[in-house]
Amino acid sequence: MTTAAAVAPSPVLEVRGLSVSIGRHDLLHDLTFTVGRGERVGLIGESGSGKSLTSLAVLGLLPEGARATGSVRLAGVTHDVVGASERAMASVRGNDVSMVFQEPMTALNPTMRVGAQVAETILVHAGRGKRPGADRAAVRQRVVALLDQVGLPAPAELARAYPHQLSGGQRQRVVVAIALANDPELLVCDEPTTALDVTVQAKVLDLIVRGVEARRSAMLFITHDLPVVATVCERVLVMYGGRIVEAGPVAEVFTRPRHRYTEGLLGASDLEGARPGKPLTTIPGTVPPAGAFPEGCVFRTRCRHATAECAAPPPWSSADPGHGHACVHPAGGER
Amino acid sequence: MSASIVVQDVVRHYRRPRASLLRPSPPVEAVKGVSFEVARGERFGLVGESGSGKSTLLRLIGALDRPTSGQIFVEGMDITGRRERDLGFVRSQLQVVFQDPMGSLDPRMRVRDIIAEPLVAQAGEGSTRDAREARVLELLEAVGLPREAADRFPHQFSGGQRQRISIARALAPRPTILLADEPVSALDVSVRAQVLNLITEFVEELGLTLLFVSHDLSVVRHTCDRVAVMRAGEVVELGPTAQVYDDPQHPYTQQLLRAAPSMRRALRGGGTAELVGGGS
Repeated sequence: MTTAAAVAPSPVLEVRGLSVSIGRHDLLHDLTFTVGRGERVGLIGESGSGKSLTSLAVLGLLPEGARATGSVRLAGVTHDVVGASERAMASVRGNDVSMVFQEPMTALNPTMRVGAQVAETILVHAGRGKRPGADRAAVRQRVVALLDQVGLPAPAELARAYPHQLSGGQRQRVVVAIALANDPELLVCDEPTTALDVTVQAKVLDLIVRGVEARRSAMLFITHDLPVVATVCERVLVMYGGRIVEAGPVAEVFTRPRHRYTEGLLGASDLEGARPGKPLTTIPGTVPPAGAFPEGCVFRTRCRHATAECAAPPPWSSADPGHGHACVHPAGGER
Repeated sequence: MSASIVVQDVVRHYRRPRASLLRPSPPVEAVKGVSFEVARGERFGLVGESGSGKSTLLRLIGALDRPTSGQIFVEGMDITGRRERDLGFVRSQLQVVFQDPMGSLDPRMRVRDIIAEPLVAQAGEGSTRDAREARVLELLEAVGLPREAADRFPHQFSGGQRQRISIARALAPRPTILLADEPVSALDVSVRAQVLNLITEFVEELGLTLLFVSHDLSVVRHTCDRVAVMRAGEVVELGPTAQVYDDPQHPYTQQLLRAAPSMRRALRGGGTAELVGGGS
């Protein structure tokens, strides 16, 4: 596996051979992928596939006791995220890379006014690198502008509100404002709209996409919701059992999946195409718990096409880690 | 022939705790005068966002809560204004599957006792221990769980398996009506399809009446014959599923359908702007 000829200009995020284990369990296995400048990449998988852990590894937020090997490089950051000190990462997070979590209520500080929380992000990184020094009035103005950009009504007054006074959608808008405050090169979103109602989700998704487009930021978007990825992203990485099993452009992966897991996932979630009342196609069994995935192809215990060959780790189908699959019996025939 | 479920002008107000010493808090109007009928054997969907009153309505129909005013008939019997001990017939005719199987299964009970509990409570078919045991094993097999599952506890199962246990328990007293409150919302995609298939299969095979509550429009479209769209305690649109989805009349239904991300539209190039109605 090489990254030669992947994305022409240097990528914003370059993950190479990233493995993470906690205790005896190998949770992420040899992940290699890149996110190009301004690119929107989706990371999909079911619970237990390792997608959230991947996002934490990118921000250097792995839990205590986790051992990471490999490398995670971010544009504009001179050191490797893997093994970086907390002090070094603190100046990177919220500046070069920032994150939107699923639960806005836990992401926000309940004892601080939301305006102060946006301002904090700006002030912490002020005077560093390309950032201008702090001027309180200018910061206050910028906070109101940011809250206005994320579509909050009466932003000047709303900046004085506490998180509990806002609705779920409004809170998530504040989190997005914080994440975009310093125009990060990369925005990582972990299920940012899963807790929201469908009409609110539509608005927040639109706001996130417009936000990263306006800043030419790249985005790594993590979700289990396939239609959301198809709407938001250009490229997609499919994870299962701590591995990337398939990668490629959204239009290709979602219309002509190669890996049997991707194929199964698309079939099971295709409620639009299924005849009403008729059975949906399913993937047999359930996602095994961490550490109980089989050797070789991680999906073979649930795969209808598995043979003895699948007991050996399947090779990646191409030289480009951003486009290919790891399946011995791919859908749509051998290439 | 009478309808399975009749809901007439049902209103449910809740009292909020007082916020002021001087005046009572205004009541929360969770359901504001809803009426509809569900025919026997029909699969009826209730969709809406959080706070629309869909779950409150389901609880009222299941006689788990009482309406402030209005009447509800289950299999021709009025269930409003009855004492709890007179509601036995509802408990045997109508069963509920909830969203969170961990919250609705007693963690200290073995699966055998969980599934047999409605039988014990109703003292009909399951009046003897042997009869109950036979029914439990029959149900476990029907929902695709091994016999050994009977001896285990809920925490030893995955989310999808727990939902199978909930379904087995609901079917135990041979109900004619199944109420499902977001039964697949907490499940992974691959498991969601399995559980949806299981529910549709039973509804068809046993000729059950299904009331299916969900915020997920695509799930309701797949599962139900007719659908009611709720917003702020009112039904804003009601009709055959295909008609409501293909030609929504109410602006809110149109907004809801547009806002739900769709694989089809996305692959045709529809971005997030299309979800919020900003044109393509």
